[in-house]
Amino acid sequence: MAEMWISMGPQHPMTHGLWTLKVKVDGETVVDTEPDLGYIHRGVEKICESRDFTQITTYCDRLCYASANTWSHAYIYAAEDLLGVEVPERAEYIRLVAVELQRIASHLMWLGAYGPDIGNLTVMVWCLREREMMMDLLQELGGSRMHYNFPRVGGVKRDLPHGFAMRARHKLSLFLDRIQEYESLFDESTIFLIRSQGVGYAKPEEMINHGVSGPNLRAGGVNHDIRTSHPYSVYSELDWSPAVERSSIKGADCYDRYRIRVEEMIQSANLVLQALDKMPGGAETYHEPGDPKILAKAPSRAPEGTSGSHHFEDSRGESMFYIAGGGEGRGKMPYRVSIRSPIFITIPYASKCMIGYKVADIPAIMGSFDPCIGETDR
Amino acid sequence: MGVVSEKAQLSAAEDFASALGKMEGVVSSVDKRSSGTQIRPVVNLIISPISWRNVAESLRADHGVDYCSMITGIHWPDADDKQWEVIYHFLRTGVKNPPILDGVVQPIITQPSKLKGAEMPLEIQISIPLGETRNPEVASIQDIWVGADWNEKETWDLVGIDFVGHEGMRRVLQPHETPKGYHPLQKQHKLRYHNFEEMYDDVQGFKRKPADSERIK
Repeated sequence: MAEMWISMGPQHPMTHGLWTLKVKVDGETVVDTEPDLGYIHRGVEKICESRDFTQITTYCDRLCYASANTWSHAYIYAAEDLLGVEVPERAEYIRLVAVELQRIASHLMWLGAYGPDIGNLTVMVWCLREREMMMDLLQELGGSRMHYNFPRVGGVKRDLPHGFAMRARHKLSLFLDRIQEYESLFDESTIFLIRSQGVGYAKPEEMINHGVSGPNLRAGGVNHDIRTSHPYSVYSELDWSPAVERSSIKGADCYDRYRIRVEEMIQSANLVLQALDKMPGGAETYHEPGDPKILAKAPSRAPEGTSGSHHFEDSRGESMFYIAGGGEGRGKMPYRVSIRSPIFITIPYASKCMIGYKVADIPAIMGSFDPCIGETDR
Repeated sequence: MGVVSEKAQLSAAEDFASALGKMEGVVSSVDKRSSGTQIRPVVNLIISPISWRNVAESLRADHGVDYCSMITGIHWPDADDKQWEVIYHFLRTGVKNPPILDGVVQPIITQPSKLKGAEMPLEIQISIPLGETRNPEVASIQDIWVGADWNEKETWDLVGIDFVGHEGMRRVLQPHETPKGYHPLQKQHKLRYHNFEEMYDDVQGFKRKPADSERIK
């Protein structure tokens, strides 16, 4: 049969955003693929060159609508590296709580979107219900439901509100109970197993050479994690180890990538519970916004010739900011901001993964890599 | 299980930097950066564009640098010593395929706190300054790290730095029909509302001409 190119996207349920996957098919078999991105390129890197260091957090929140907190934190660590700020320990603990809660919310969003992808609609409603609990907690911290704008250069916007620790403990223990329900919903569903097992194999060495990191990499049976190999924040103070999945012989398939995210949610919930217990000064004390215990003084200008960078474990892999100082207003603004998006690098690899499988497997394989187009196109 | 040891990582970084410093056209140093509880060493390399390809091959083959994180291009029209700069961020992760025993995959669970020497994860930042030219170019490393492929595409698309030897270069973030030679992150292209103070006095920009209205693109 003659081979031909078909376009999946920009408006296809598989894409989870706005992009095109061009697929060359021979009958039902995928022979070649070519991703085409850039539909929602907003030029964030250019806009950042005309904003001062505190204003940029707002833009970084909007890089990924499902995982806003991790992106603004990724920026803030690079900015603090550039400006040379020492952050109070309590603020680091509060950040860790915010980031890990966001990681749970992001993985739940992924699980909720992946279910309908491969024919399990119930799970979407269940996941969004649990995500609501995380969003309520994050709303208490940041004040809004989606784009929190929570971290500040030198600390955080505000302390944990009264009763936050109690509510967080309650909701997380409820969540840890309920996550077993999801596992049974997925692991005992024949349709899910048929569609996710044995498709989209990926080997760790190949993934690392292609620049794929984070949960997708750990699904292959290795425990590389930026939080332990290039430690930042207070991850070194807590008792934990990254979740690792035992993959099948041919490499990690879609099912392994689902398992690893469930494990990571449990992991993150435990990290939050530990951080609440260990927080210096106790989780129930409250400091006014701007108190030196939660916000250190930071210079507003970065001289020319300085630079800051930071690798950060985002919900989807390794995100990174590189900032060169010395822009307009005698260094008030950055000269150049460069953003590394994990999914921008993962999408070409995921597209290679589906070669040799059937067209009907494309949503299962693409969805399992957790694409987010907001951060991809920047 | 913990995280990597600060001391071991620092000494691994210093060993790495001194080994690289012996190569031709390389200036190496170790930056001690801090974010959170631990010192974070970053190996800093400044490499001349001619020896870059050589050094890149040696990084992959002899030093186990297996992960290309990000490529950044910077346009410095007003700097004295360079007009362009390409900055690479690499990680040494040491990831291996897990072994298979009796038909079952055995996940590799390394103990980060016990890693040392060549297994130690490292952060590497490489800067390649380029002189005054209208057509900046460096050697492509697409065939060494496949992860560099789309990074190079993006850097060419937005900054206009050419990667010699890159196969299949095309626009990735901008529309395919973008005029040839238009790369928005070059500094001659200004944002209209670039002035911070002006932004609040004249929000809609009625009083102002765009700063680049008389410039030739």
